[in-house]
Amino acid sequence: MKSKSMWSFGTREVVYGAIGAALYGILSWASNFVPLPAAGNISFRPAIAVMVFFGSAFGPWVGLLTGLLGNTLGDALTGWGLYWNWSVGNGLIGLVAGLAVNLIKNYRSGRDIGIGVGYGILGNAVGLLFASLTEIFVGGIDLNTALVGYFTPAFLGNSVVTIILLPILLVAYAAVAARRGR
Amino acid sequence: MSDQPVLQVINLSFRYHSRPDIAIEQISFDLQPGEMLLVAGASGCGKTTLARCINGLIPRSYHGDRSGSVLVKGREVSQMSLVEVAQQVGTLLQDPERQIVSSYVVGEIAFGLENLGLPREEIYRRMDEVFDRLNLNHLRERETFTLSGGEKQKVALAGVLVMRPAVLLLDEPLASLDPASAHEAIQIFRSLADEGTAIILIEHRVEDALQARPDRLLYMENGRMCYLGAVDTFPKELNYHAVKLPAPWVVQRVMQEKKPSLMTVLPQPANPQAEKLVSFKNVSFAYGDGPEVLHNINLDIRQGDLIAVLGPNGAGKSTLVKHAIGLLKPTRGEVLIKGVDSREQSVAQIARSIGYVFQSPTHMLFAPTVREEVAFGPENLKFDKQDIQRNVTESLSVVNLVGMEGYPPLGLSFGQQKRTTIAAVLAMRSEIMVLDEPTAGQDYANYTRFMDMLCRAQDGEGRSLLTANFKATLFITHDLDLAVTYANRILLISEGRLVADGSPESVLRDFTLLESCRVRPTSLLRMNLELLPKTGHFLPAEALAPYFSDAYSKSNHSISAGL
Amino acid sequence: MLVTWKYRPRDTFIQSLDPRARLTFMACVILAITATDVWDARLLLPVFAISMVLYFMARIEWRDVRRAWIFILVFILFIIGLNALLGGRGGPLSVLQDDSSVLYALSIPIPLTPWRINLTVTVVRSFFALVQMMRMITMAALAIPIPYTIDPSIYGVTFRRMGASDKLSFTMDLAFRFVPTLGRDFMITMDAQRARGYELESVRGGLIQRLRRLAPLLVPVTMQAIVNGEEVIDAMDLRAFGARRRTWLRELHLRQRDYWFMALGVIILVIMMTARILGYGEFWVPGFWYRLVGT
Repeated sequence: MKSKSMWSFGTREVVYGAIGAALYGILSWASNFVPLPAAGNISFRPAIAVMVFFGSAFGPWVGLLTGLLGNTLGDALTGWGLYWNWSVGNGLIGLVAGLAVNLIKNYRSGRDIGIGVGYGILGNAVGLLFASLTEIFVGGIDLNTALVGYFTPAFLGNSVVTIILLPILLVAYAAVAARRGR
Repeated sequence: MSDQPVLQVINLSFRYHSRPDIAIEQISFDLQPGEMLLVAGASGCGKTTLARCINGLIPRSYHGDRSGSVLVKGREVSQMSLVEVAQQVGTLLQDPERQIVSSYVVGEIAFGLENLGLPREEIYRRMDEVFDRLNLNHLRERETFTLSGGEKQKVALAGVLVMRPAVLLLDEPLASLDPASAHEAIQIFRSLADEGTAIILIEHRVEDALQARPDRLLYMENGRMCYLGAVDTFPKELNYHAVKLPAPWVVQRVMQEKKPSLMTVLPQPANPQAEKLVSFKNVSFAYGDGPEVLHNINLDIRQGDLIAVLGPNGAGKSTLVKHAIGLLKPTRGEVLIKGVDSREQSVAQIARSIGYVFQSPTHMLFAPTVREEVAFGPENLKFDKQDIQRNVTESLSVVNLVGMEGYPPLGLSFGQQKRTTIAAVLAMRSEIMVLDEPTAGQDYANYTRFMDMLCRAQDGEGRSLLTANFKATLFITHDLDLAVTYANRILLISEGRLVADGSPESVLRDFTLLESCRVRPTSLLRMNLELLPKTGHFLPAEALAPYFSDAYSKSNHSISAGL
Repeated sequence: MLVTWKYRPRDTFIQSLDPRARLTFMACVILAITATDVWDARLLLPVFAISMVLYFMARIEWRDVRRAWIFILVFILFIIGLNALLGGRGGPLSVLQDDSSVLYALSIPIPLTPWRINLTVTVVRSFFALVQMMRMITMAALAIPIPYTIDPSIYGVTFRRMGASDKLSFTMDLAFRFVPTLGRDFMITMDAQRARGYELESVRGGLIQRLRRLAPLLVPVTMQAIVNGEEVIDAMDLRAFGARRRTWLRELHLRQRDYWFMALGVIILVIMMTARILGYGEFWVPGFWYRLVGT
């Protein structure tokens, strides 16, 4: 059963936020070992689809935690470091994707899946724009560089991943959700 | 012992909003301090719902219509706050893996007390007590992920006991443990009851649970109480198909009912001269630079083998089996699959010869429909389209899933999921079937049905699903009775060594050897060994009844001697 | 392959600090070099030096960080190169109104369009690129050591002590708890699918096909985690999670060295801000640079 408000924050959100974050971290880390398709400097990170999915299925808080903590964990596992702006950016992706939670009623219907994908792409636009723009202050680069160097490749890659993998995850979840007893 | 019951369940009924049928109906019982109540029944009998009513998850987290009352120390549970219930009713969930919420042992045990907001000194004081009580001091600095199954459960139990509950609710606490750890856990439960904790032990493995000497037994079927009373005699209400009873009880029941015993088809004895399918030659293995976990294993898997691989957790059973399917390659020695070194074959190539069914179906199910799920393997192996279609149809009919082709596997019941995984391997037309813990996660009634589906004769020629479709089968198990009933060859693994390899009748008679490998003899094994001169080979409990003379049945003690 | 953390206990000054002090310091330095918009190399160089000294004091084994550094350096060069290529705007005004002598000029026509890409490297711009690099490396040197030197088990309590709520902070701890378990589940699923003939390496076809082929790995791991999550929720509710203000058993103590360390961060920030208010900190090209690269 869906909760009344998508903004309630209880044990459920803590648990799924943590699971989402751990999965996002592990999948980001595993991307280093698993051969993934790439086109030019666009890399495709399947972890993004999982994050957007956690938002669509469990709401904005879980999406936010999945991205925010998950990106931090992923960078910690790979050893890249701690980059607050990219963690916040990822959190925003999940948060915006999670705004669709109450609009998705049937995880199998094409229309509802389309809504999920739409919010996922919107989330990617918002989150990646935030992270890319902060890089202007860090590196003293201009807006074009931020858009071409940071935003565009990540946005294209993430959008393709969302369009292809999110529907698969939503359809799979339909069966799991139907079995739940609460 | 005071006269005031610590727990009173009065006319309790519950129906989930999400389901049409009533889950439990008119349940009533009392529990005194220090009393242990064993609750038994097949899955779906309502025991989980009963537990949720007692620990307050119903009505807090699970919604539905509840009537009647649950009183803990005279107060209605549904009206107590989360903080109050948590300190009165402690719940140990089935799988400690999901109960443990901290990366560290100390964090796990402190978790509940931290949530209560107790001062640090008080938390440390109570933790010290529990560490001493359960002899866990050696685990104090450990990370929870690195603990063994038995250790995990003790830590999870400590995290519950530290809250000093008056009632301890144990939900299938033996399910994820190997027999030796289960035995240890049972003794802890007994001593906790002796110290005054009221315990509700929910378990379908009645035979094992009886070792905890419960004071009373509640047996449930379809949400109703069928029996509530003493356990020293075998109550006639218990259905030996639904829960696992001691072998002597089953025999006694079969004799009383005077029903003709089932026509069991025994596994044909293994033939040590049959065609070699897989050979292990001096196989040793270590992960990376780590210590060696398999030492010099030599064995041949031959046509007609029905092998049970026995041994405690961490002995190397899975590591051994993963060599047979090429997921691991030996560090020394070689594994030959149909005469070819496993190092020269990819896992996908070996998959054509050997199919592996992993323990948990959820580790592999992903497709939107059962049909696509079952077709996945043959598609990977590049079978023709027509062959794939035929294999899928045939496999699904073999495991009784016809009509389910269009269903999502993730939405099926656990038993159906398990059968889907079998069909997925069948459709690959492998020659050898490997099953990892085929009964894990299922209750007794379901796993007996599942094993019967695999092993009992189906066609006129007395062939079973396994023998008709595979040249050999190998299953890893903790459950000694499974080995007694279904195997024709036993591999006993301990500490990375193959310590015994032979027929069940020869390997399982050596109790000293079994105990040294942390395998505990069961009543069925004892009874079979006793009757072996008459039967000639091991039999399931029902089939043993005819071998007892009438004289035997009159003197009850000789039958229960097996207990 | 087991998921392992990069953290190792080390007997270093850095690791003896309270994580709150380190995060506060890091926040001050990030603010000091970004928000204030200081571009004067004479002000940035000391900050760069401090962050490099701290980096080496962390004594992280080169073998561990090599990959991260190579990746980050290549990326920094890419971004700076791209910035130059796209016209080199951004940064302070003086870089835009640049009439210094041209070192190198390149004009490439973009095929099939009337446009050309112009790359003009001047004396001023070349030094600007150097300062950009210095700033980015300063940040990287602060960011990279964090996972190697802060014990994952204290992230949660660190969050809590920095003002995050009980629930949010515990989410971090719980996520750490799940990482090894889910990592193991991922490997089991990988093995289970390989036993069904699945091969990641031999995936053919277009982009869409190849991404879809990841479903057999992603779906089981995700769905199993979700199913198990239901029981974790029960386990936590049954032990009164979220019912009251939590005690956090793990304690953090700010010691004298932590206060000194935070003070250093605040001093850097204050100096930068004061310099800016007083009108210092504009981009500046040292005289020797003209002599060194100028023609």
